[in-house]
Amino acid sequence: MTSKFLLALALTIAAPFIGGLVTGIDRKITARLQSRYGPPIAQPFYDVLKLLGKDRMVVNMWQALCPVVTLTASALCVFLFGMQADLLLIFFVLTVGGVFLIMGAMAAPSPYSQIGAQRELMQMLAYEPLLILVFVSFSMVTGSFKIADVYAYGRPLLPQLPLMFIVLGYALTIKLRKSPFDIAACHHAHQEIVRGVLTEYSGPNLALIEIAHWFDVALILGLCSLFWSTSALGAATLLAGAYFLELVIDNVTARMTWRFMLQNALGVGLALSVLNIVWQSFNN
Amino acid sequence: MLEYLVFLLVVLPVLSAVALLCIKNEGPRKSVVIATGAVLAFCSLALFAGGSFQLRPQSMLGLDPDVLVTGLDFALLAVILGIAVKLKSPLLIALGLLQILPLGYFEYSFARHAAAGPSLAADNLSLIMVLLVGFVGSLVCVYGLGYMKEHEAHLGLKKTRQPRFFFFLVLFLGAMNGLVLSNSLAWVYFFWEATTVCSFALIGHDGTQEARANSVRALWMNMLGGVAFALALIAVYKASGTVLLSDLLAHPGGGASLALLAAFFLLCFAGFTKAAQLPFQSWLCGAMVAPTPVSALLHSSTMVKAGVYLILRLAPAYAGTSLSSLIALFGAFAFLTTAALAIGQSNAKKILAYSTIGNLGVIVACAGINTPASIAAGVMLLIFHAVSKALLFLCVGAIEQRIGSRDIEDMRGLIAVMPRAAALTVAGILTMLLPPFGVLLTKWMAIESAMASPLLVLILALGSALTVVFWTRWAGLLLSAPMPAAGLVAPGAAVQAASMRIPMTLLAYGAVLAGLASPLIYRSLAAPFVSLFYKGAAYDVSAGSFASGAGTFSVYPLFLLLGAGFFYALRLARRLPARSASAPYLCGEQTGDAAGNVFRGPLGPVAATPANLYLSAICGEEVLTRWINVIAMTMLAVMFGGIL
Repeated sequence: MTSKFLLALALTIAAPFIGGLVTGIDRKITARLQSRYGPPIAQPFYDVLKLLGKDRMVVNMWQALCPVVTLTASALCVFLFGMQADLLLIFFVLTVGGVFLIMGAMAAPSPYSQIGAQRELMQMLAYEPLLILVFVSFSMVTGSFKIADVYAYGRPLLPQLPLMFIVLGYALTIKLRKSPFDIAACHHAHQEIVRGVLTEYSGPNLALIEIAHWFDVALILGLCSLFWSTSALGAATLLAGAYFLELVIDNVTARMTWRFMLQNALGVGLALSVLNIVWQSFNN
Repeated sequence: MLEYLVFLLVVLPVLSAVALLCIKNEGPRKSVVIATGAVLAFCSLALFAGGSFQLRPQSMLGLDPDVLVTGLDFALLAVILGIAVKLKSPLLIALGLLQILPLGYFEYSFARHAAAGPSLAADNLSLIMVLLVGFVGSLVCVYGLGYMKEHEAHLGLKKTRQPRFFFFLVLFLGAMNGLVLSNSLAWVYFFWEATTVCSFALIGHDGTQEARANSVRALWMNMLGGVAFALALIAVYKASGTVLLSDLLAHPGGGASLALLAAFFLLCFAGFTKAAQLPFQSWLCGAMVAPTPVSALLHSSTMVKAGVYLILRLAPAYAGTSLSSLIALFGAFAFLTTAALAIGQSNAKKILAYSTIGNLGVIVACAGINTPASIAAGVMLLIFHAVSKALLFLCVGAIEQRIGSRDIEDMRGLIAVMPRAAALTVAGILTMLLPPFGVLLTKWMAIESAMASPLLVLILALGSALTVVFWTRWAGLLLSAPMPAAGLVAPGAAVQAASMRIPMTLLAYGAVLAGLASPLIYRSLAAPFVSLFYKGAAYDVSAGSFASGAGTFSVYPLFLLLGAGFFYALRLARRLPARSASAPYLCGEQTGDAAGNVFRGPLGPVAATPANLYLSAICGEEVLTRWINVIAMTMLAVMFGGIL
């Protein structure tokens, strides 16, 4: 128990560095795919450090409150993952972060952050059911919602839940704000919502949200790794492959509307899940 | 001692109600309502302290209690029939006759032969309900004092109608206490009908055309349940030779006969109507025309809770049957679809109504899943939902009186206008939506206890994801205000009367503390009830964590960590210096207007008017309701057909 706790603590401390590093590599590879040189890999850390040094400017006090709660929830999720806790519990705590991010954005009367918040809600509506479906499929194979039981299962889950990995890929694309689902906080300058849900967060508040995002990246990679929990090398290969595919999709697709996202993510995601779950129950 | 307590809990509200009907002045009315509430709260605690009991009152007013209740029952049905005749509604008259005739048949042929047994009894489920009535119900009545004064001032009534209002409101509490403390189904039926009449009178209280129409709808739907209940009395007696709940539940899981199962279906059907489950949701949605204390009472501790109480109460008797699995599916379906319907709504009371139906759906599903863990989840959700939902209704009532609207779009930036009510509303929403609070804990329990059926898990989990949308945007828009000029926290602009403010504040503390006390609530309230009828412990609760084979939910660690984060954030936000205030971003084209969302346009200022996405093409009532009703009716038909 103590060793598990220490491991979880270590993971929680390491997670933002992992997440930040992944983001840095992401930016570098994206740049290369677009024939640019790209920023140094540590650029995300420089950005956040600079943001942290700025004055805390807010439209109202809730904007200072919400990022802290979002960050707490995101860090807690990674900690719970390290404790090999309950997947549903992690999911619900993840919701806390999402809800407070949106509440903070809605607290500002600016139209950009209002639209962004509504779109972020639609994103949650699209990825939350998918994530739950993935967890349900885990529980059907391992007999419980505990991550510990995924590790205790002794075989990789991927061969039994191949379609669920694709479903998780959908959720990942939406949660990581990748094209074609980068609708709530698109960072491209020519697009009309000026980073939408993030418009009104600035300085240290924005830095906290960025760090929370790193935690989320680490968490999602952790969830992906559960599909090949028996081998570190296997998990690493799976993660690298999945993330690279994610990058390619991000670069070759255009941003779509939230209607497309709901129809596509929920439609395809639900269909794949039902197929996989039915197939899985026949196998048992 | 016990007899006195039960007398105080059931009959005192009736006496107070009669007194309130006669009192025309505000002062004495206030004293009577507050005193009755205090006595009910105290007696509910005292009754709880005494634990489970069975009781056969020997005589009441010198009469045999069974005869008395039978007499009152026929009197009540005569009143209902009178209402039906007055309304000239053939449907209501038919439904009334369909209850009087079976009841007459039952009383004439069977009741005399029935072995005398304890007509009153209580176990932890009943005691929980009595506690909810005693505390939440009483607080709602106290709130009603301040609310109705303002309400009548707004309507400009020449002659106050508050005596009538409080008569039915307080009567309701007594009827509800009677319902949950009765052991004889014949008694339950009497109180069941009493709550139907009270709700009819209260929904129609304002006397507008809409109020009258909706009260009639509530009446006929609940009378439909009453008919099922009356038939169930006969069916239960024919199948088992008893109408005592304690006898029916004496052999839990011991394969009920088909005839008995059909009787249980009828009782559950009655429960579905009372709990406004699909396709009967329209009466509860229509009930929002009533003054807010009525909605708060109907949704939290009385009326709809009577429906799920009966279904939960009977759960051990139909455990392991296909009826049980279908009930689980039926409840889960209500949870998912009402969550979708709530997304399509901007009317705050309707959002709350759909959320109530959905949460009751979860309780029904828990009863149907019928494992120790799920029953514990159902019982605990009953408690958490009552407190949070009462709070939210009281908040909406206070807000509506101030801003004159119950549309959530009109509540944008309410935090600047009514800081306290808006903050309490946000608190209520968060306790309904997020961990570590109780409602979410029970949802987790429900989902994991359903694990044997992937379909059920799927439906419950999807519903849970949908609820995030309508709660989050409501909480968010309440906060949507520019920084007040005077300081970071707006000075208290609106103040409600103490009789409204205090119940709201107490319920908010109650909702948070109930979440914190969930391990205690499980151990001292839910687990003892579950162990009466089911073998094996549902959860291993230690160090503030719920653990079962399916998973673990750590309540205390979550409270500690999320709470620490929240309070640090609150402290940080409160201590922001005034110079950190900035205007919202409008591409540098703002007019400098106080609202902070007005662009400079070529032809003058252009205000950006934000609005929520309601997905009305998918989630609109007009799109969904018809299909939902068809599916729900099919499920009911399959349930009934499956037994035969």
